[in-house]
Amino acid sequence: MGVYVHIPFCEQKCSYCDFYSVVVGAGEFSSLTDNYLVSLRQEALYYRALWGDSPLTTIFFGGGTPSLLPPEKLADLIAFLRTELPFVTDPEITIEANPHSLTEAGAEALAAAGVNRVSLGAQSFQDDLLKAIGRLHRAEQISESVRSLRRAGIDNINLDLIFGLPGQSVRHWQETLEQAAALQPTHLSCYALILEPGTPLAAWHEAGLVQLPNDDDQADMYGLARSLLRSAGYEHYEISNFCLPGCACQHNLLYWRNRPHIALGTAAAGYVNRCRYINAPDLHGYLQSWQSGNPNYLECEQVGVEQEMDDTMMVGMRLIAGVAEEEFRHRFGVSYWDVYGEEITELVERGLVVEVEGSLRVTEQGLFLENMVSGAFLRGAGPLDKGGAK
Amino acid sequence: MVQKNIRNFCIIAHIDHGKSTLADRILEATGAVNKREMTEQVLDSMDLERERGITIKLKAVRLTYRAQDGEEYLINLIDTPGHVDFSYEVSRSLAACEGALLVIDASQGVEAQTLANLYLALDHDLEIIPVINKIDLPNADPERVLRELEDIGLSSDEAVLVSARTGQGIDQVLETIVERIPPPQGDPGAPTRAMIFDSHYDQYRGAVAYARVVEGTIRVGDVIQMMSTGRRFEVANLGVLQPHFVPVDSLGPGEVGCVLASMKDVRDTRVGDTITTASRPATVPLSGYRPAKPMVYCGLYPVVNEEYTLLRDALDKLQLNDAALTYEAESSAALGFGYRCGFLGLLHLEIVQERLEREFDLNLITTAPSVVYRVVLTDGSVKEIDNPTAMPAVTQIEHIEEPFVRATILVPDEFIGPVMEVCQDRRGVFVNMEYITPERARLEYELPLAEILMDFFDRLKSRTKGYASLDYEFIGYMPSDVVKLDILLNGNPVDALSIIVHKDKAVTRGRALAEKLKEVIPRQQFEVPIQAAIGNKIIARETVRALRKDVLAKCYGGDVSRKRKLLEKQKEGKKRMKSLGNVEVPQEAFMAILQVD
Repeated sequence: MGVYVHIPFCEQKCSYCDFYSVVVGAGEFSSLTDNYLVSLRQEALYYRALWGDSPLTTIFFGGGTPSLLPPEKLADLIAFLRTELPFVTDPEITIEANPHSLTEAGAEALAAAGVNRVSLGAQSFQDDLLKAIGRLHRAEQISESVRSLRRAGIDNINLDLIFGLPGQSVRHWQETLEQAAALQPTHLSCYALILEPGTPLAAWHEAGLVQLPNDDDQADMYGLARSLLRSAGYEHYEISNFCLPGCACQHNLLYWRNRPHIALGTAAAGYVNRCRYINAPDLHGYLQSWQSGNPNYLECEQVGVEQEMDDTMMVGMRLIAGVAEEEFRHRFGVSYWDVYGEEITELVERGLVVEVEGSLRVTEQGLFLENMVSGAFLRGAGPLDKGGAK
Repeated sequence: MVQKNIRNFCIIAHIDHGKSTLADRILEATGAVNKREMTEQVLDSMDLERERGITIKLKAVRLTYRAQDGEEYLINLIDTPGHVDFSYEVSRSLAACEGALLVIDASQGVEAQTLANLYLALDHDLEIIPVINKIDLPNADPERVLRELEDIGLSSDEAVLVSARTGQGIDQVLETIVERIPPPQGDPGAPTRAMIFDSHYDQYRGAVAYARVVEGTIRVGDVIQMMSTGRRFEVANLGVLQPHFVPVDSLGPGEVGCVLASMKDVRDTRVGDTITTASRPATVPLSGYRPAKPMVYCGLYPVVNEEYTLLRDALDKLQLNDAALTYEAESSAALGFGYRCGFLGLLHLEIVQERLEREFDLNLITTAPSVVYRVVLTDGSVKEIDNPTAMPAVTQIEHIEEPFVRATILVPDEFIGPVMEVCQDRRGVFVNMEYITPERARLEYELPLAEILMDFFDRLKSRTKGYASLDYEFIGYMPSDVVKLDILLNGNPVDALSIIVHKDKAVTRGRALAEKLKEVIPRQQFEVPIQAAIGNKIIARETVRALRKDVLAKCYGGDVSRKRKLLEKQKEGKKRMKSLGNVEVPQEAFMAILQVD
C-alpha cells in the first residue's frame, strides 16, 4: 500500500504530455507551492481517518515536475507524511526529476529529505529528438544526473525512455537503449509514445507536420528494447518496465496488483476503501476545496467485487509473471478459471496466454497484443464475452 | 360536399423541379397550414426526406378553396416522389386522381422524368396542367420551356407560370385546377368500391388504409369487406388529412381519406385492393395496380443473430408503407439467417435500410446488390437467380441472360459525346437519338440493368456538368457473358461477398474489390489473405497483415478507469463486426462492392 503525491508544476510543457500541470512564473511560484503544500497536508489528514492502519510501504512524487519543489519543503512534507500516516520504517520514496535541473547539491538535498529512488525523465539520448518534443535537457546531462545521484548515495535510479517519437528510427532507438544500459541504472521504463488528444504533438500530427514511426517500426522498437535490455542483465517484469534483479518499483507494483493507495494532489488518482477517485485537474479548485476541508473529485466510483476481479486481471496481466492462481483465489475465494474459464480457454487457443507454474501470464505474442488479453477480462457485452460461469 | 365541387389532383415532375415547395404554397394559400406551422417540405414528414430534401412517400392532403366563382371546392392533393426508383408511388397516386400538375423547372426545362411521368399521367387519362416553376430564378427561361411544351405535345397556352418560392402565380394554379380538372364521376348510390392506394402501420391504431372512394359511400360503423381476401372489418374511424387527421362520418365518391377498422394484420390492407361494404358488396373489384416488380435484390442480415425476428417484424410493418418492397427468408453460411429483399433501385434499397435502422433500431449488414439473372441450364430448364450464391455449377449452365433496360437520356447537345462514352463503357447499345428542341437531344440506349445500378447516374451527371437527366424502363432479358466472382477470406469463400459480373470486367472488379476489402478489414492477430476467384482460378490477392502491436504503454493508478473505458470502447466497436471463421469483418466490407468500379 502506498501514497502518490502529484506535484503539478512545470517550467515548460512537453509537446506529448497530457499529465496535468501548470507553468508558473517565478513571481508566484513560492506562494503557490506553499499553499499547495498546505492543501496536501490537509488532504493527507482527511485520508488518514479513512485509511485505518494498513501499513504503507511507498511514496511516489509524480508530476508535473516534483523536483521543482525546494528540497527543504519536500523534506518537511515527507516528514509530515511519515509522522501522520502508518508508514513502515523504511518506505521506498521515489521522486520524478528532470536531468537538466538536477544539480549535485540538489541530489544531496533529495537524499537528505529521505528520497531513496529517483526516476529521471531521460526520454532519449538524441539531442535533436529531445528538442523536438520540448525537453529542456541534453543527452549528456542524463549521465551527469546519474553521477550526481550516485555521489549523493541514491543508487536506485530509473530512466524513463520513449520510443515512437517523431522522426525516430529503429537505429536511433537502439543507440538510446545502448547508452541508457551503459549507465547501468537499476530500472528502465520504455514507453511507446501515445498521441494524447489535446496535446500539441497530437495537433501537429493531425495537421501533418510530424511523421511518426509506423506500427511495424514501433513493434520492432519494442522487441528491440526487450532483447537488448534482457541481454544487458535486465529483467522484463511489466509491459513497459525493466529492472535489475530485485529492483522492481515497489510503488508501481501496487497498481499492477490492483492494491489500494492514497493519492494526494490535483489530478491524482487513488483507490481507498473500494472507491476509485480522481481529483479534478484544477489547481485552484483543489486549493479552494481544501480550504473548506473537502475533496474535489472529478470521478469517484465504488468498485464492486466483480469489477475488482476484472481490474485485478486487467492490470495483473501486464506483469510478465502474470496473475498467480493461488493469490487470486486467496483474494476472491474462487479461481480465475471459475470466473473467466471460457475467455482464458480462448486466449490460450489463440496463443496469447499460458498458465505456467500456477500463474496465468502473457506469451511473447500476448505481450505485443496485451489489449486483446486485458479486454477479455472485462465483463459486459462483446465477442469474447459469451456468458458462462460469471 | 357536392361531388361537382371536388377536385382530385397530384403533382408530378422530374426530381428537384419543386413539387414539394409548390405543395407547401398551395397548403398555405388554402389556409390548411398557417404561417406559424409552415416549414419547408411540410408534407415530407420523415426525417430522412427532410435530410435528403427528397420525397420518398406519396402524401394525400385535403384542402378547401373558395374560388373566384364564389363557390367552395374540396381539393385533394397528392404529392409524389420524383426519383425514378419511386415511380411505383407515382402510378398509384395517378390512379386516385382526375388531373395532374406537371411541374417543370423554368431553368432546366423538360427532363427525362418529366416525359416519363407525363406519359404515365396520359395513360391514366388525366387532365394535365403544365406548371412552369422557379420563374424568379435569374437563369429562368420560361419562353424556352413554353416552346419545349409544344415540342412534347402540350399546349403552351394552358401553362401556368409560378414561383413556388415567392408564391407568385399560386392563385392562378388553384383557379386552373378548379376550371380545368373535371370533378370525379361515380354513383353515390351504387355498391361501394374504394381503392386502397397506400397504407401504413400505426402502433396504436393498427393498419391504416388510405383509400379513394370511386362509387358508393363508406360510413363509420359500416362493415367493410376486402375484395381480394373477403375479410371483414367494422369501420371504427374515418378521417381526412388536412394535413392533420380530422375525423369525418363518411366518405363519398371522389373523396380521399383514411379508413381505420382495427385491422391488426398488415396484410389486410394490401395496396391495390378494393374495399366494399359487406351489406351490399360490389361484384367486380376495381382494376388494381400492377404489383411492383423489384429490379434489384440484396440480403439484409442482423449483425446480432438474435435480432432476426425483430427484422422480420420490421419488414412486415415497413412493407405496409412501402408496397414495392419484397422479402423472403434466406440464410448465408457467413451471416446466418436473414432476408433476401427486392427493391426498385439502389436509392430504394438505401432508404429501406436506413428506415429499418432508424425506425426499428436494428443493426444491419447489407450484402452486395444483384439483379435477377436467368440461367438456362443444359437440360433446357431456366432458373432465375437473384443471389450469386445460388448460381449453378458452370458445367450445368447453357448460357446466362441478364436484364436490360431502355435508358432515355436528355442532354444539351454539347454533352452528347460524353454521354455516349459513358453508355458504351457500361456495355450500352445505341438505339436512337433525336432532338426534342434545337439544343437538346434525347438519346436512347439499351443497357444492362446491372450497369445502371453501379453509380451510372453519378457518372453521367459528372460528365455532363449535371445537365443529363435519366429515365429507364425494363425491356427484357438478353444473353450475356457473365461469371460468378467469389471472395475468399483466409482461404474460405464468403458467400455474402460473391457477385456476378461481366467476364470482361471480372479481373478489374476482382482486384478493386480485394483492394477495397484490404482497406476496410482491420489488422487482426493473424495475417488475413483476401482472394478474388472465378471458379478455381485466383484472379487477385491482397493481404491484411497481422496486427503486431496493440498495447497500452502506461497503466498506473489513474489509468485503470481510463484503460477500462478504452478497452470497453474497443469491444463496442467489435460488436459491429461479424466474425467469419476467426476473421472480424466490419459491416462496410459487405457494401464495398458498391464503392469499387
